[in-house]
Amino acid sequence: MPRSLGITTLQILAAIRDGNAYGLDIVARTGLPSGTVYPALGRLKGSGLARARWEDQRVAEREGRPRRRYYELTPEGSRALVEGAARVAAAAAGLRNEVRGSV
Amino acid sequence: MAHRVKSGGMARAVVRAAGLLVPRDRRGEWCEEWEAELEVLSGLRRGAAELRAGSEEPSPGAAPPISGPYPGELRFALGAIPHAVWTRTEGWTMDGITLDLRFAWRTLRRAPGFTLVAALTLALGIGANAAVFSLVNGILFRAPPGIAQPERLVQIGRSYDRAPRWDDWSWPALELIGRESQALSGVAGYQAWSFVLGAGADAQEVSGQLVNGSYFGVLGVRPLLGRLIGPDDDVTPGAHPVVVLSYGLWQRHFGADPGVVGRTVSVGAKPYQVIGVTPASFAGPGVVGTPPEMWVPAMQIPPMGGRLPFDQWGWSWINAVGRLRDGVTFEQARASMRLVTARLREASPVNRDIRVLVARGVGLSPDAHRQARQISLLLLGIVGLVLLITCTNVANLFLARGASRATEMGVRMALGAGRGRLTRQLVTESLVLAALAIALAVPIVVSADKLLPLVFPYTLSVPVSADGKVYLFLVGVGILAGILFATAPTWTATARDIGDALRDTRLSGGRTRTRLRDTLVVTQLALSLALVSGATLLERSVLESRAADPGFDVRGLVAGEVSLGPTGRYDAASGRELFRNLLAAARRIPGVHAATLASETPIVGGHSRSTVRPADDPDNQGYEAELVVVGPRYFRTMGIPVLEGRPLRGFDDEPERVVVVNQALARMFWPGQSPVGKEILGGPDAPGWRVVGVAGDVQLRSLRSPARPTVYYPLSQMYSSVMDIHVRTVGATAGAARGLREAVAQVDPALPVSRLVDLRGAMVTSMGETRTIGYLLALFAGLALALAAVGLYGLVSFGVAQRVRELGIRIALGARPRALVGLVLGRGLALAGVGLGVGLGLSILFGRALRGLLFAVSPADLLSLGVASAVLLLTAAVAAWLPARRAARVDAVVSLKRE
Repeated sequence: MPRSLGITTLQILAAIRDGNAYGLDIVARTGLPSGTVYPALGRLKGSGLARARWEDQRVAEREGRPRRRYYELTPEGSRALVEGAARVAAAAAGLRNEVRGSV
Repeated sequence: MAHRVKSGGMARAVVRAAGLLVPRDRRGEWCEEWEAELEVLSGLRRGAAELRAGSEEPSPGAAPPISGPYPGELRFALGAIPHAVWTRTEGWTMDGITLDLRFAWRTLRRAPGFTLVAALTLALGIGANAAVFSLVNGILFRAPPGIAQPERLVQIGRSYDRAPRWDDWSWPALELIGRESQALSGVAGYQAWSFVLGAGADAQEVSGQLVNGSYFGVLGVRPLLGRLIGPDDDVTPGAHPVVVLSYGLWQRHFGADPGVVGRTVSVGAKPYQVIGVTPASFAGPGVVGTPPEMWVPAMQIPPMGGRLPFDQWGWSWINAVGRLRDGVTFEQARASMRLVTARLREASPVNRDIRVLVARGVGLSPDAHRQARQISLLLLGIVGLVLLITCTNVANLFLARGASRATEMGVRMALGAGRGRLTRQLVTESLVLAALAIALAVPIVVSADKLLPLVFPYTLSVPVSADGKVYLFLVGVGILAGILFATAPTWTATARDIGDALRDTRLSGGRTRTRLRDTLVVTQLALSLALVSGATLLERSVLESRAADPGFDVRGLVAGEVSLGPTGRYDAASGRELFRNLLAAARRIPGVHAATLASETPIVGGHSRSTVRPADDPDNQGYEAELVVVGPRYFRTMGIPVLEGRPLRGFDDEPERVVVVNQALARMFWPGQSPVGKEILGGPDAPGWRVVGVAGDVQLRSLRSPARPTVYYPLSQMYSSVMDIHVRTVGATAGAARGLREAVAQVDPALPVSRLVDLRGAMVTSMGETRTIGYLLALFAGLALALAAVGLYGLVSFGVAQRVRELGIRIALGARPRALVGLVLGRGLALAGVGLGVGLGLSILFGRALRGLLFAVSPADLLSLGVASAVLLLTAAVAAWLPARRAARVDAVVSLKRE
């Protein structure tokens, strides 16, 4: 990993953790604007933390809707998410102490 | 429902448009994903709507239950735009861009002279544009500062079935509008006024306003100190000697003394109490003109002709601005003016044809607004032309350099660089250059507030400063210019055949490039011609105006204003006595051989008007004629011819109510008849006035506006406490002006003389706009011409270099050097000829745009066009001849050996 992941990226990684997440779904879960989510997904794909797959055409037809593009984590993605979450949690704890100390 | 359908359609359109940005090989998938998501979203929203409407459960499996808030369709779809941009630029790694930038920087640094010239030229063009934009921005897009909710203010004007007028109202009309208008919460009345602050040696003239009690309330100004003038100050004429100071005056004149409130100061030699100070930001409701620095209740206006204006429907002297009542729209206010119109018509016969109008906003009156907008847009147009010329010039520089870089491009293409890659490289180079130019232009923009007042012919009360909008404009124009001048060279540089490029460029210069360079030079020549002829037109206007006949003799004529009202020590009788003494003292000034008095000075005057009508025509609705009160020997001193009847006599010899009218009024009221012996009605006093003479027309307001109908009243019959002393001298006007001050001080040391003007100077000043824009245009025209000449020079020398072999062969075959010079020169002059043709058309169009500034010159003035064409051809001939000489010196042997 060249750079540590930001909170936004971690949120997106968390949203696709259990697979079967598509763009709109991620937008709804994270509450982030679509203009942030899609380029971030593209970047994650590019850096190999996430991959995308098209849903089977037959499933979509059975449900009477266009096929979806699902996003899921790669093993590196899972690792990055765990590491990132721990880092953010540690930072948050440190911040909490700081704030408590100052008040 | 309809709304959702619409936003769904919009959303799909946004996605489809954004999809065009995506690289073609990925566009299909990209669009499929977005459209699928949109469909799910609209399905979900439909489902939710059905649920809310209490219909059956959505069919199972239609949409998986997902938690979380869903965005609106359009909002969701807008995210497709950054996504598409991201997809397009995904391959552009930062490394690649850095590489491009570094390469561009190195290329530009390798040719520092070229880079500096190109960047400076460009900086001049975009800097001038941004500077003028900051002016336009200040005048047109910014409300006057310090006013609460300026967008809720309206200006109140009127029309009498003629053009609308946005100037003064009479006091009773102002009060009636404030009372009767349901749509307005109040009406502010104000009139610019010049006050004398202090007494004796440190008396100074301060520009301010007479205002009604609603003024500060309507404008929403809160005091910085003390209180402001309010409705309680609107009660009894002459009984409210209070004054509000501006922040600037308080700082300057009172040393920012916080205890100034309550102090007594001398205003026009009368004690006034300071009641408050306005905040620093407030500069009155205007943006053009000297900002007011003190405010005095309108009730303190000095009597005119021995009378006060508060019950006079015929005296128009105060401007009106209203504030919309809360919840009232502008359209409602406009509709409600019908009622006000009806009330005004009932109130006085003077108003029988009046129609009340409202216009949005404050700052500039709609008339002044139009004028200032025209001038500032004209300036913007001129600098736009200059920018276009600088762009063509830089493009030309790039093209010329492109010739030397053709081999480099060819090599890079041969090594496998795609056309797109090269384009990106070249565009990066121009953008780096543009960035350099933008940086160089910043000082021009920053100093705009000092430079612009030199070229803008109006005084601005709002500071012209660069805000975010101006810098945005600067960057935008810079980038646009960068792209503009980069397009042409890029196109030719990459449109070439590799093999062609690798061969010697001197032989195969590339036809596209040559044609493009020709076009650029022709464009430059044409644009320069337009600027040169515009400058010539304005210069000719100024010359014509000097020779123009304003209807009186301007030679050695000096005028200065004396106002008795503010001293409070003179009534009509003692005032006349004083004026008589002043005239006697003025005639004793060395060099002065004639002196007289008048309530208005020609060219700079035209402040008083009153409605008059002929007594013998009951149907005539009257006309607001200029009102001038004159002293003895007025017409003789001024050199205004009395064409019929007799002039007005001195102080005591005019026992009857008599007037002299000008030709314009005579023509209007009694066409084809002699007005002598007729009677006119109206004016401030009801009884009639007998016409005893007809005077020649005089330009009272400015040189450009035609003479307006005017009535001259004798001072003995109509007293005015404000008079301008006019003296005619055989000596220097400056000496006479000084003498006039001294003469007045001898008679009454407390009387200041203000607005001293030399009438010949005033004539020149009244053409100020024409002159300043003319200077500016001449400056830019010179610049443009120089740039065009350089362009033509470069093109012709390039041609000579290209044809050196051909020329060598010609010489070897026995051609005379003179013929060769002619050959090369002919080509340069042919280009100049085409530029001239196109430019003449442009010049006429440009002349039309300048029409408002012209005086006694037609926009298609042959002399101006001829002069401009001659200048252009001469410049072009020199620019082409210098390199053409080289053609004659071509050595046949050397040139043929070179290959």
